[in-house]
Amino acid sequence: MKPGLRIDALRVLGFGRFSGLTRDLGPGLHLLYGPNEAGKSTLLAFLRSMLFGFEKRGQPERYEPAHGGAFGGELTLTTYAGPLLVRRIASRRSSEGELSVRDAEGKELSKESLESALAHVSRELFFDVFAFRLDELAGFERLTEQRGASEALVAASMRGARRLPEVMDQLRKSTEGIYKPNGVKPSLNETLKALEDVQARLRQEGDRPARYFAEKERLGALVEEQRTLEAELLETGTGLERLTRLEAALGDVAALAQARAELATLPALETFPEAGESRLEDGLHRRRSYRAEGARLAERLATVEAGLERLSAPSGVRGREEALNQALAAYTEGAALLRALPSRRAAVAEKQRQVELALRELGLPVDGPGLLALDLSVSVRVTLEELALRLGAAEVAHREADGAWARAVSERERLDGALARVNAELSTLPEERASRIRQQQAGLGRLRTVRAEMERLSEQRAELHRQFESVRTQGEPQATAAVLPTWWVPAVAAVVVALAVTAWLLAGNVVGALCLVGGLLLTGVLELARRRVETARDADVEAQRARQRWRQQEEERLRAALLGLSAREELLHRELLSAASEAGLNLVATAADMAAREAVLADALERAGRREQLQRERETLHAEHTAARREEHRASEAVGEAESRQEQLGAELTALLSERRFPPTLAASAALTLWRDAAALRQRLLDVGAEEAALTVDAQVCALVTSRLWAEAVVAELIPGATEARELDAGVMEPLASRVAAALEAERAQSLERRTLEERRHELRAEKARLDGLCHDEEAALATLLAEGGSADEETFRRRAAQARRYVELTGRTRELSHRIEARTGLSETLARQALIDVGGEQGLRVELESLRDRQAEAQDRLKAVLTERGALSHQLEQWENDDALAKLRIVEESLRARASELAKQYAADRLTLALLARARRRFEEEQQPRVVQLASEHFAALTQGRYQRVFIPTGEERELRVGDGQRDWSAAQLSRGTREQLYLAFRLAVVRDFGETRGALPLIVDDVLVNFDPERARGAIHLLAKLSEHQQVIAFTCHPWLRDVFAAEGARVQALDASTSEPPAPVSVLKTG
Amino acid sequence: MPFKFVHAADLHLDTPFRGVATQGPLLGRFQDSTFRALTRITEVCLRERVAFLLLAGDLFDVKDRSVRARLALRRELGRLDAAGISTFIVHGNHDPLSGDTGALGLPPSVKVFGPDWEEVEVKREGRRLCRVQGISYPDVEVRDDLSARFRRTGDGFSVGLLHANLGGAEGHANYAPCTTAGLGSRGLDYWALGHVHTRAEHMLPGGGVAVYPGNPQGRHANETGPRGCMLVEVEDGGMRRRFIPVDGVRWHKLEVPLSGVSTLDGLLATAMEGVEARCAPELDGHAVRLTLTGRGPLHRELARPGALAQLEVDLREQLARSHPPVLLESLRDSSRPEVDLEAVCAAGGFARTLLDEVGFLAEDPAALARLWEEEALGALSQRLKRLGVDALEAPRAEWVVQAGLHGVESLHEEETS
Repeated sequence: MKPGLRIDALRVLGFGRFSGLTRDLGPGLHLLYGPNEAGKSTLLAFLRSMLFGFEKRGQPERYEPAHGGAFGGELTLTTYAGPLLVRRIASRRSSEGELSVRDAEGKELSKESLESALAHVSRELFFDVFAFRLDELAGFERLTEQRGASEALVAASMRGARRLPEVMDQLRKSTEGIYKPNGVKPSLNETLKALEDVQARLRQEGDRPARYFAEKERLGALVEEQRTLEAELLETGTGLERLTRLEAALGDVAALAQARAELATLPALETFPEAGESRLEDGLHRRRSYRAEGARLAERLATVEAGLERLSAPSGVRGREEALNQALAAYTEGAALLRALPSRRAAVAEKQRQVELALRELGLPVDGPGLLALDLSVSVRVTLEELALRLGAAEVAHREADGAWARAVSERERLDGALARVNAELSTLPEERASRIRQQQAGLGRLRTVRAEMERLSEQRAELHRQFESVRTQGEPQATAAVLPTWWVPAVAAVVVALAVTAWLLAGNVVGALCLVGGLLLTGVLELARRRVETARDADVEAQRARQRWRQQEEERLRAALLGLSAREELLHRELLSAASEAGLNLVATAADMAAREAVLADALERAGRREQLQRERETLHAEHTAARREEHRASEAVGEAESRQEQLGAELTALLSERRFPPTLAASAALTLWRDAAALRQRLLDVGAEEAALTVDAQVCALVTSRLWAEAVVAELIPGATEARELDAGVMEPLASRVAAALEAERAQSLERRTLEERRHELRAEKARLDGLCHDEEAALATLLAEGGSADEETFRRRAAQARRYVELTGRTRELSHRIEARTGLSETLARQALIDVGGEQGLRVELESLRDRQAEAQDRLKAVLTERGALSHQLEQWENDDALAKLRIVEESLRARASELAKQYAADRLTLALLARARRRFEEEQQPRVVQLASEHFAALTQGRYQRVFIPTGEERELRVGDGQRDWSAAQLSRGTREQLYLAFRLAVVRDFGETRGALPLIVDDVLVNFDPERARGAIHLLAKLSEHQQVIAFTCHPWLRDVFAAEGARVQALDASTSEPPAPVSVLKTG
Repeated sequence: MPFKFVHAADLHLDTPFRGVATQGPLLGRFQDSTFRALTRITEVCLRERVAFLLLAGDLFDVKDRSVRARLALRRELGRLDAAGISTFIVHGNHDPLSGDTGALGLPPSVKVFGPDWEEVEVKREGRRLCRVQGISYPDVEVRDDLSARFRRTGDGFSVGLLHANLGGAEGHANYAPCTTAGLGSRGLDYWALGHVHTRAEHMLPGGGVAVYPGNPQGRHANETGPRGCMLVEVEDGGMRRRFIPVDGVRWHKLEVPLSGVSTLDGLLATAMEGVEARCAPELDGHAVRLTLTGRGPLHRELARPGALAQLEVDLREQLARSHPPVLLESLRDSSRPEVDLEAVCAAGGFARTLLDEVGFLAEDPAALARLWEEEALGALSQRLKRLGVDALEAPRAEWVVQAGLHGVESLHEEETS
């Protein structure tokens, strides 16, 4: 037997009705006994599922827990590769569930390790042969089917053919995918169909080169025909064109003949003046218009003459316009002055009265002329003003000096008061110096600092002292003395020798020698140990000495530091003494004393400061007091000076006023005011006098102007009935001036009109002379024209002009027609006429034209057809020359052929491989069958107690299991149910054993397969199972007590299985999935 | 008098190329390649000032299909005619006479041999240079040894122009079969042969030589390498032959080893490098058939469905962008699982049984024929033949051997997977 797989324990987490069920199994035969519905089939399905995966969803044998919860379980397996823990839990991703395989250490292994442990047995084979139910026992037919477990059987039991079914399946699929003799879809079928189609299309195309060359020849013929047709068309076209031209010129020829006939009837009029008629009419028209214009001019000239006559009547104004104008202008200039004279006189009188009134009010003892006689010149006024100014200034100076004196007195009095107050305060303050007090304060501060320093020093000294003490007291234990003194070694050696000698004496040479050697060895060891200890001790001593040296150095250093501190302390002590004396305290003063002394000193310092400040203030005040006294004295002097000056100026003013006849008691300012008023009044008096003089002059001028205008108006007869001038005031003179102006204006208008009319008469006379000249010229021209036209009068001329017009028209027409005929026919008139006659006149021409047109249309149609055909043919040929559709078709054909060839070869290769595999399998079955069948025969004979001795599978297509008893044989179908099941069981056991021998021993699991066996044969079967269980695990299920007893009798480990075996699920601890 | 001539055969003008897409830029280059090859032959003739040109059959791939082929031939031979160079033509199995004289529209200096033996003298300045004999195929299938009708008729250099299968060369229909001994016995100096597309020279008993110049333009992946025509210089009875390549598009078969390549990108790069190293830049284009060989880390990845096809598409796109463009004819996977057949046989088991079965069938043609018919491969073969597909003509022992190996490999692969 090859090592395979064994189930040591199972643990159901959730499967069907089970949850939390655990069972320990192991090697040998096991029976799980339980009544119906205890879950035996469920457990069988569980074991199958754990090893090969759950059934698909929806299958009854999936056994998914009805109420949810965990679905799956664990198996503990023993395999040739060591123990495995197989766990399978339901998963959403796969219906088979999530498998995990771990080794004894819990290390995750690949899933293949389970397949390998199962010796790569297929699911089908395991289910059919290794783990089956009663109903599956009878389904042995599956084993003999062409596919299915038969191949699996071969695969399972034959090395090198494990996946034969899969390979054959792949090959079948491959061949079916490539080709089916009557198929459509497979690739080769499709390719061949496409190839046939392409070849059919290629056949349709025919022999293309042959067609090409034939068509090419036809194209040549068409080209030739086209050339012929084109020549014919050219010829016809030429004839047709000639005749068409003739036809077009037919009308012109007839018209020409007619024009020539009419021309012959007219006289010779080549020299008739060109456009004679219109020229005649124009001349006549112009002559008429000249004459009419002359008549109109004469009329207008008469009107002008009459106007001139009217204007030559006599007038009084005429000849005196200049004098009148000047008089009028002088009057107009003086008119305004004349009108203002009365009012001006009244105003002057009023002003004179007012001046006199003002003079009286002034209070000076003078009248008008007296005022004018007063000296009121500017120099007097200036002197007066100067005096007033100086008086004012003297008064101001006096006032200021008074003010300054009063201020100086009050300032001196204030300073007297302040000095008295400072002296009083000074007398209350003691006399003590601030510097002295500050020195005492500094001494006190130093005393504090020195004391703190001394305290710090004493701490340092204590610390150093402590260190010093600790260094001095840090003692080293003395190095241990030698553990073993040197003399011990020879002593021990001597003892050893002595003992060896003793031993030699007592036990002989050998023992003696041994003792000696042993003793000496021990001595050597002792010496070695001693030396090592010595070495260690020496090292210790050396280290101790080094530490000692370091300690001494440290002591020295600390001692020096202590000395330094003492010196420093001494220095500080002296400083303390000087500070205490400076502060005015003794050495033993406490901190409180020092604080009190400090407060006293601060107070004294404050008062000393105040005294110094007051002394400085007194000195300042003293200086200020002296200055104030001096100022007071100076002010009193200034007051005296100001008073004397004021008096002097008053005398001066009095003298001046009396000299100018002004009241001498007047103040300077009042005198100045009086002076100003008098001066203003005097000026007004002067102004009134001047105004009176001007008024007199203006009155004289006005009288002169009015008299002159009056005189001129009288001369010009503009004042009827008055010859003497009287009072010529404004009321008289205004209408007179207006009349004179109107007369002058009328005279000016008449003169202007007369001048205009004269100019007009001159112009009209000149125009009349010009028209007369033109009229004469026109007469001469008309006479010449008539002479040119050979006519005596205008009527004859007009008649001849009409004839001449017709003559020109006909001449032009004949010329035009001749040209047209030549242009249309390309022939001269004569030749064209001759040609017409040649074709038989108009009738003949039309007939000829008709026939030519028919011929041309026919030729054109044919040419068109030829061109179309040629184009199509050329196109076709060109297409064939450049057509790659055919080439592409042939590429497709070639590619399809290549593909078909590839596919066919692939197909043939696959078919041959498939056939070879099938043949090999058959041969294997034939050759290998005896081993399995022999085992099956043995088992079946044992099961039937020798009733049947032989089991065999006949060769041939019928894959049938047959049995024989040595004389005859039966097919399985011919056996009773129980016997048939025994046959199948025997065969299965044979396969199981063969598999175990060749591949690996797998557990056999049977679910109540013996129920149809009679007790004897059942015992035989159980015996067989028990024998098998010696090599591989056998697990059986039953619900029958009698079978349980037989199993128990055969040594099976029986475990009860009933509804109460369901246990609560234990927590999943070993494996975690997902 | 010394002279030169050019010997070309199997022009297969306007031949359709397999594996070229009917759309795209490569089509033009491939479709023009046979015409360009003919043009280059003409140019060789003009440059070398040869006396004549020999075309030994199969001028057209299919005679009644391509107008362009006819016109191209006429144009190029017209150029030779203008230069005073004669052309001698025999027709072969691809372009038999079949009633057509084959001379349709060709210039007067072109001699197309008929279905009966003829001999023509080539003259220059009134002096005979050599004699040329030839026979065209009247129909596609000529099973007679046409060479037997040839014979030396006089002194001087004699050339036999024939489309024939010398020595039953494989891969070509056995038309006008002949042997070196047979050709040697005809006493000609130079046999200008056509039909076999691979260049070959056969020294004949008696001193003559039979030459296949090969086709001037490779047409598929089995016609790899340089292709061209033969320039022959004859002087004082001796001759020198020089092969001149004229192909514009060249075919290659390349193997890409999978070993040491770990990524698809790496494989692509290796393939591209291999192709670039082989494809000469002066040509108009190249076509390659790539075969993946050996075994490497990529084998399993390539075994995924569609992986190989995707790789082929990627490679085809990349190669088409090369300069000159390269057509990927196909990408094939010959990477095999490593199967130690001896070990398999020695180990016994199913594989041994399978290989025993293979051995039995390979040695028993009758049994193989029975199996062939049982698997209905005979009927398929007939159908393929009708459609002109060259495959599965007859059961062959090596196919069975290959099938057996395939089976063993499949099972082996599964074992190790």
